[in-house]
Amino acid sequence: MGCIRVGGFPALAIAGALALTTAVPAPASAANGTIVFGAALAATGSTAREGELTKEGYDFWKDYVNSHGGIKVADKIYNVDIKYYDDESNPQTAARLIEKLVSEDHVSFILGPYGSANSATAAAVVERLKVPMVEGNGAAASIFSQGYKYTFAVLAPGFKYLQGILEMARTLKPVPKTVAIATANDTFSVEVGQGAADYANAHGMTVVYQNKYPAATTDVSAVVSAIKALHPDMILNGGHLDEALLLQRTFKEQSVNAKIFGYSVGPDTPDFRKTLGKDANWVFGGTQWSPTAKYRGAPGFIGDSNVYAAAFNKQYGHLPEYHNAESTAACLAFMYAIERAGSLDPQKVRDALQHLDVVTFYGILKFDSRGLNVYKPMAVNQIQNGELMTVWPLGVQNAKPAYPTPPWNAR
Amino acid sequence: MELFAQDLVNGILAGGIFAVVALGFSLVWGIMNIINLAHGAYIMMGAYTSYVLFSTWHLDPFLSLPLAFGLLYFFGYGVQRFVINYVVRAPLLTPFLLTFGLSLLIVNVALFIFHGDTKGITTQYSGSNISIGTVTIAWTKLWTLVVALIITTGMQAFLTASRTGRAIRAMALDIDAAQLAGVRVSHLYAVVYGLGAGLAGAAGVLISLSYSLQPSMGDPFVITAFVCCVLGGLGTVQGALVGGLLYGVLEAFGSQYVGTGLQDAVALVVLLLVLIIRPRGILGKATA
Repeated sequence: MGCIRVGGFPALAIAGALALTTAVPAPASAANGTIVFGAALAATGSTAREGELTKEGYDFWKDYVNSHGGIKVADKIYNVDIKYYDDESNPQTAARLIEKLVSEDHVSFILGPYGSANSATAAAVVERLKVPMVEGNGAAASIFSQGYKYTFAVLAPGFKYLQGILEMARTLKPVPKTVAIATANDTFSVEVGQGAADYANAHGMTVVYQNKYPAATTDVSAVVSAIKALHPDMILNGGHLDEALLLQRTFKEQSVNAKIFGYSVGPDTPDFRKTLGKDANWVFGGTQWSPTAKYRGAPGFIGDSNVYAAAFNKQYGHLPEYHNAESTAACLAFMYAIERAGSLDPQKVRDALQHLDVVTFYGILKFDSRGLNVYKPMAVNQIQNGELMTVWPLGVQNAKPAYPTPPWNAR
Repeated sequence: MELFAQDLVNGILAGGIFAVVALGFSLVWGIMNIINLAHGAYIMMGAYTSYVLFSTWHLDPFLSLPLAFGLLYFFGYGVQRFVINYVVRAPLLTPFLLTFGLSLLIVNVALFIFHGDTKGITTQYSGSNISIGTVTIAWTKLWTLVVALIITTGMQAFLTASRTGRAIRAMALDIDAAQLAGVRVSHLYAVVYGLGAGLAGAAGVLISLSYSLQPSMGDPFVITAFVCCVLGGLGTVQGALVGGLLYGVLEAFGSQYVGTGLQDAVALVVLLLVLIIRPRGILGKATA
């Protein structure tokens, strides 16, 4: 009895406080229930950092929805909650935990893990269990070539990652003619590099160098010296943050000059700018999203990138990275699909996801028959005087591309 | 030819760091017969020491090197004395697993303190270089090589000329005879392990000048250290130096002429060949 009394009082107090704080903006207390989403995210291991960013993106949406009246399903209002497990950055663990979420915790909707490898194993599990999964952090098209029907990715697929930079380059004067492409040897990065090479070849540019190095390598000097000998106009990299940092440092060390340095991953993370300081200037990065991109989103959530960034910053004390934004966007795909389905039946929600076509602060959410969001263009960022600017596509840019990049000794 | 010369220089410059990475690992393995899987964690600790001193007090990494060495020496001394010492005579697998556990613990504590963010040190002179003919050499890497050579020479002098160094070598040759001659084995074991950790810390500082930092950054270097030790020969300073330089050059040529994706494979194939043809390593002495 003692337990009940002791526990009951604060619960009542909290309920009262909640009623006071939420009654004014929206009748959240009128919720008919809670929709529980499940996610296996890395809290430990090599992608712990990205896992944390993903979780922030999911939680931001959850908190926003719960404080703005919940999700409307047919005539009922639901709050949302997310059940998390730590997949230890391990694809097999991610698969096992998603199985547990569905079979033991009876979760009907899965928010994706971080990374292509973990998303790939997760996709196989949700397919078998016939539970829809929307993910924002696994862009390898290979996940979507298996004929899966239950996995949807809000982000543009891997092969488009560097295409934005090439599209932009074609509008610049003088137009760069030769391209060197170095990629890490994992599935996703190779896809990024091949996508760039295909685009360059199809649009009259010459790919003078295309090579793979081992992912997470500690030495790229051979790649850099080989590129230096070819004097390309553009140098592109499909890889990871550590490799982007190492490459950019080594380009400077070996005085390798090009009109454009472009990276698939790196420039839009604050770590890139912090670590390299002024050596990060002039660098271009393909990005899924940027706080300065000017999209206008549908009602139901924050529709403006800037407003999203400000609200996110207020809640977490840092500006959102694209990992945060695409994770929030994955939740939005579910939210709009559930509202349109008017049902919590996994099959009906899956069908609604398949026919979704909505613009959000993150860009368009629309999936092809494989579940890929091929409709979303990649934006291009450039670091200009230490600031990250969006320089492409034309409609959403907030600065002009600074071009050509001056040689190292003239900076 | 232009590429060949640049690759050779790149390989030697990288090899200097590998030599320091391998040196501490080689000492601990050769003298104590412990394959120290925590070596990578100590490298990471050295790198973060350099990062903290640089970002807080703008202390140049080359100046923080002795501090990191000292800090890691005492840390390693304590770890050996109060943790590993209990299993030092156990079968090879026990200390192997213990150091693996230690590594996990240290890396996760670092993850807790520093988070998983990638960090880096960019000094005023980062990236500045000189060109000799067609070969470009970064000053940072050149100085790193010089410091690596100073460290290995100093270590060699310590082991051959100092009383403690001679006692360590005596202990490596015959632990029971050394003990009978008055060598304090548990203290010296701790000194050796401390030196191993200190050298890893020094390597970490050198690495922090060129690579980015994150808590699991040391892991790949354990394999590097392992390969360099076997290539060069175990337990000697010269072995680590030769192994490190050879590994650096092999990796550079391997990635240029065999395939960038195969840079590790080339070095490992050579490792296999060395194991088959000369199992004690290039400079290793045959044991009876």
